[in-house]
Amino acid sequence: MTKLRGHNRLRLVMLGFMVCFAVIAARTGQLALLAPEAKRVAAPADVRIPRPDITDRNGEVLATDIKVSSLWANPRKIIDVDEAIELLTAVVPDMNTVELRKKLTKDKAFVWLKREVSPFERQAIHNQGVPGVGFRNETRRVYPKGRLAAHVLGYVDVDSRGLAGIEKFMDDQGALYTASLTDPEQMRAMPAQLSIDVRVQHALTSEIAKAVSHFKAKAGAGVVLNINTGEVLALTSLPDYDPNRPIDAQKQVNLNRVTTGVFELGSVIKAVTFAMALDLGVTDLNGRYDARYPLVVGRSRINDFHAQKRILTVPEVFLHSSNIGTARMALDVGLAGHKAFLQRVGLFERMRTELPEAAAPLLPKRWSKIASVTAAFGHGFAVQPLQGITVVAALLNGGRMVPPTFLKRDAATVDGFATRIIKDSTSRDMRHLFRLNALKGTARKAAQNAIGYQVGGKTGTAEKVINGRYSKNHRLTSFVGAFPMDDPKYAVLVMLDEPQPVKGTYGYATSGWNAVPAAGRVISRIGPLLGVEPKYTEEELQKISKKVTALKGN
Amino acid sequence: MLRILNGFLVVTVIGCAFVLYSLEHASRQNERQIAKYKRQIAEEQENIKLLNAEWSYLNKPERLERLAREHLSLRPAEPQQFVKRADLAALLPERPAPLAPESDGDAIGDMLKGLE
Repeated sequence: MTKLRGHNRLRLVMLGFMVCFAVIAARTGQLALLAPEAKRVAAPADVRIPRPDITDRNGEVLATDIKVSSLWANPRKIIDVDEAIELLTAVVPDMNTVELRKKLTKDKAFVWLKREVSPFERQAIHNQGVPGVGFRNETRRVYPKGRLAAHVLGYVDVDSRGLAGIEKFMDDQGALYTASLTDPEQMRAMPAQLSIDVRVQHALTSEIAKAVSHFKAKAGAGVVLNINTGEVLALTSLPDYDPNRPIDAQKQVNLNRVTTGVFELGSVIKAVTFAMALDLGVTDLNGRYDARYPLVVGRSRINDFHAQKRILTVPEVFLHSSNIGTARMALDVGLAGHKAFLQRVGLFERMRTELPEAAAPLLPKRWSKIASVTAAFGHGFAVQPLQGITVVAALLNGGRMVPPTFLKRDAATVDGFATRIIKDSTSRDMRHLFRLNALKGTARKAAQNAIGYQVGGKTGTAEKVINGRYSKNHRLTSFVGAFPMDDPKYAVLVMLDEPQPVKGTYGYATSGWNAVPAAGRVISRIGPLLGVEPKYTEEELQKISKKVTALKGN
Repeated sequence: MLRILNGFLVVTVIGCAFVLYSLEHASRQNERQIAKYKRQIAEEQENIKLLNAEWSYLNKPERLERLAREHLSLRPAEPQQFVKRADLAALLPERPAPLAPESDGDAIGDMLKGLE
């Protein structure tokens, strides 16, 4: 074989190519056989992570996003208007033929035909195959439970931005919390779990609604609080609104009275004064207070509503809700001590929870002797009702103040943010006073309506300030209590705004006749739901045995 | 020799091209399947959300209460209806003692007989 000219050069070229191909083959093999290390790519910013759903503590959906399709048309592309109308109205009967014709004959490239078409209609229209019409997907926030817990949930605007309640919290202060729920890689979000229990919420709302209509009150409100964890199980403020129609929510009457409004809670605050006096050792349960004559402080005279005109023991002062006795307690403690205690229990500052709508308390301008004395029985300063129930819960749970929350809380973490405000022994005395008041005092009707649940409570009837004066006929009645009193688990607040005397109340419209029995009914309904075991007093046992024998007789 | 090598290479190229083409075809089909499944999953998730919302709507306590009042004779439980487990036996209505199953017989059949 003769060597051709250039044979060596050809070999060189071939060798060059072979090397190149070998490199390519090696690299390809490397890529194909060895799994490449997953590179983390930041998610593109324009992809929207869905808004977390909101559920109650048991996972019942309270707010969710659903995709809705809206039907649009391009009239220029519609070939046969009559046929299009016929086909569309055949599957969506609620569309108006005349209006549809007007829209479809316009010389435009885009008209909305119907917003929020249901999935079934969408499929049906799709199957009709009408040319020139199409769907656009939109997300809509829906609240399937309607009015239930509306004041806690809040609402969103058309672009799904929270405007009130937990919805606003999720966008503003709670943005970190919201972010912790989302999983950007999966484009999903865990639901935000509230402390609310839908069943308790419904029981509370329906009982308050009954009380409001029965006593012709202007408004009503209620709270059920877990005394040990600070979780709000139910919060109601009537009148309320449907968050699916947020226009109603902005009306002034529909505001959340429990956190957005501040009220003089009246005698309910006496419990705070009692706890203060007992805790500081100024008096004890055997102490006595002179309530024979009105107390004169400066130019003011302090009278009792149910004047006993005698020397009262400490439990009697509580039972008869004596202003004079309570005022004397505050005087015994002194100005500075009283102020310090009120600050310690947080009644002098704005309470912050997840709900953004939190009103600051209205306080006396100058902390004087008369301010201290009136504050002792709840006059002259106004706080959020939620503050009232939080403080009472702390007085009864062993003396630990737990900031209330609307999000589900792990009971084990409570110690982290609880602060001690009174001694355990003082709390025991307070429980005794509250229970006594429900057995013999002004809160009797609560215990009668909630047989077996060992209710304890304090009532309050505050006169509302109308045109700068206290009005005798405009009252705000309230009940704050807890059950079961041997080991309190839940605190209940019921508040009625301007209840009227009705048949059966003998002309009275004070708390004991309206807010208290309503609270009793609330407790008797939520007790079984919350798994509280009833225990009966002798008297209650007799009542029950009568009922049982009556039943057996049938 | 060169010819044989060339022939071999041509055959290899054609073979590779065929394998490559079929692989690509298969992978494209798989991609289409994946996209389809992803779309279906998204659709199903949407449906689940919608159904969850509807379920929640239908379970409104208000509605359940109304339905229960209309169709059931049940009422909210009252405290006196709760009894301790120890007291349970005393409160149950009397009924015949259950038949002891025969050791070699048909236990369930005996129970059914007992019910008749």
